[in-house]
Amino acid sequence: MSGHGNDVANSTWLRAIMMAGLILTIGVAGFAVLGVGIADQKHHTWEDEHHHYDDAKKEWQDAVAAGTISGEDHDTELYIAKEEAHNDEVAAHLSYLTYRVAGMTMLFLTAGYAAFIGLGGFLNASKPKADDHGDDHGHGDGYGDDHHGSASPIIFAFGIMVFLMGLPDFIVACKALLDDTVVAELGMLGVSVSGLLIIVIAVSNWWFEDLPFIGHGEQIATSYPFEGDHIRKVGLWVFIMSEIMVFATFFSSYLRMRTEWCTKWAFENSDGGFEGCQSSDDWVLTASDYLRPGGAKIDGLGNSVGDFWTLLPGGINTFALIISSYTIVLALKTAKNANWEAPKGIMGKLMPTRKAAVRNYLIATLMLGSLFIVLKLVEWSHLVAEGFTIGTVQGSIFYIATGAHGLHVFIGLVIMLYLVFKADTIGFDEDNAQGIEYFGLYWHFVDLAWVVIFPAFYLY
Amino acid sequence: MGEHANLYMGKDIYFWNFIVLMVFTLFELGAVFFETVPGTDIDISRSAVWAILIGVGIVKGYGIAAFFMHLRDEHKWFNITFMFPWIFVALMLWGIGLSNPEGVTGLPSWCTPDWSYATER
Repeated sequence: MSGHGNDVANSTWLRAIMMAGLILTIGVAGFAVLGVGIADQKHHTWEDEHHHYDDAKKEWQDAVAAGTISGEDHDTELYIAKEEAHNDEVAAHLSYLTYRVAGMTMLFLTAGYAAFIGLGGFLNASKPKADDHGDDHGHGDGYGDDHHGSASPIIFAFGIMVFLMGLPDFIVACKALLDDTVVAELGMLGVSVSGLLIIVIAVSNWWFEDLPFIGHGEQIATSYPFEGDHIRKVGLWVFIMSEIMVFATFFSSYLRMRTEWCTKWAFENSDGGFEGCQSSDDWVLTASDYLRPGGAKIDGLGNSVGDFWTLLPGGINTFALIISSYTIVLALKTAKNANWEAPKGIMGKLMPTRKAAVRNYLIATLMLGSLFIVLKLVEWSHLVAEGFTIGTVQGSIFYIATGAHGLHVFIGLVIMLYLVFKADTIGFDEDNAQGIEYFGLYWHFVDLAWVVIFPAFYLY
Repeated sequence: MGEHANLYMGKDIYFWNFIVLMVFTLFELGAVFFETVPGTDIDISRSAVWAILIGVGIVKGYGIAAFFMHLRDEHKWFNITFMFPWIFVALMLWGIGLSNPEGVTGLPSWCTPDWSYATER
């Protein structure tokens, strides 16, 4: 869209660089505390439990070799001690993973935020100041006074195309960073990194065009059936329409495979109707079998590995998305309320002005969305550690569907980062709150998709 | 966004929608977490869990779309835009998700043009 409104000084964009520095500092601090400090402690505990398990296992194996107990007897004290030690080791490993992955995710997430907002701020601060401002509307985008389309979306799409062209090599190169057995060359990162750079440039230019927007010059549809509506709003609804189809493909694929799988629930309710599925050994394990209490994945003592704590990240994420949906509504409500008054008490100190209130509601939304990503990756790390990998059909559809949703959350967070920046600089009010409103539609859709994904993949 | 001037017990519709979403999510988790109805010996069957998950999903979906996305206050063409893809979603759920249990090799011929290419390659 064209930027219509006040001029934005180049120095304003320098605040974006400061914001990037602040965000990166938070990420590094989070990584230092969670991913290094606590994770190292947990690693020591894991090593201790591993030795404990080795000792218990050896004691059991010696007893079996000596013939004092049977290897098939799962009621002996030594077998139970071995399996309990194994469970303790698994728990210690998962606890270590929780902090390590949380810390690393915070670092990478904030590095991503800092890259977008910092590079965007730097690029925009470096641009020559517009010289065509000064008419009645104060146009200040530097490209003339008439309405015009923005090139940013198509540059953005081009960047995504370049990134995806290099993605296979990019993945191999990333694997090589984590795994010594994978061989890769630095050049394999080239195409995708070029794509990422184009994306950053497009996004920063998009922001450059939008930041001066204070509510004048919104383009209005002139023909039926959306006559009188904002074109951006109509476009967003059409976009949401296509997004519904994207998630429907994941869901229908999952449903297609799921109806064929001999899961525990299906087996117990089928009266033996599943061909080739005679016992629990034949059960197909889905993500929910690892996560929900009473799931089909069992430990050596015959107990389900899923319990309250394994379901907790998914549960918290569900609440986090719902709360974030509400905070974005509050941000919009506050921005649109010309008669807004500061609340009393501690909330009044947090939100002394309307501008601060909108910004803080957006920050709350950003933090809740970030929490979603962190917990998502913690949960994935637990599932992979327990053997639920992408190498299986049920793992593939789970990671692709929940990963696509997570990607939507991440993209939303990058946009939200910009909204926080705008709320902190230009500010939102009843005239230009469309930015929050239209982003809110996207964010609510992400919440809506989770309403389907969560019960289908985590609970059922 | 649609302006909801009406207050219920001093709070607007967004607040109550938020509360309903939170409570129903708790209900959803509880249905899976408990194997019997708390305080009783009544088993929560698979069918009951199915019904609860679908029912709660519909309520939550409606709450988000109608109030948070304020479709309830929009004119019919926005509602039609939102509802239109659901026709295809329903078709996909039925056509791909719930039919042809024999798998992709058992799909009807019109759905597998030049299928020999995939099987003989």
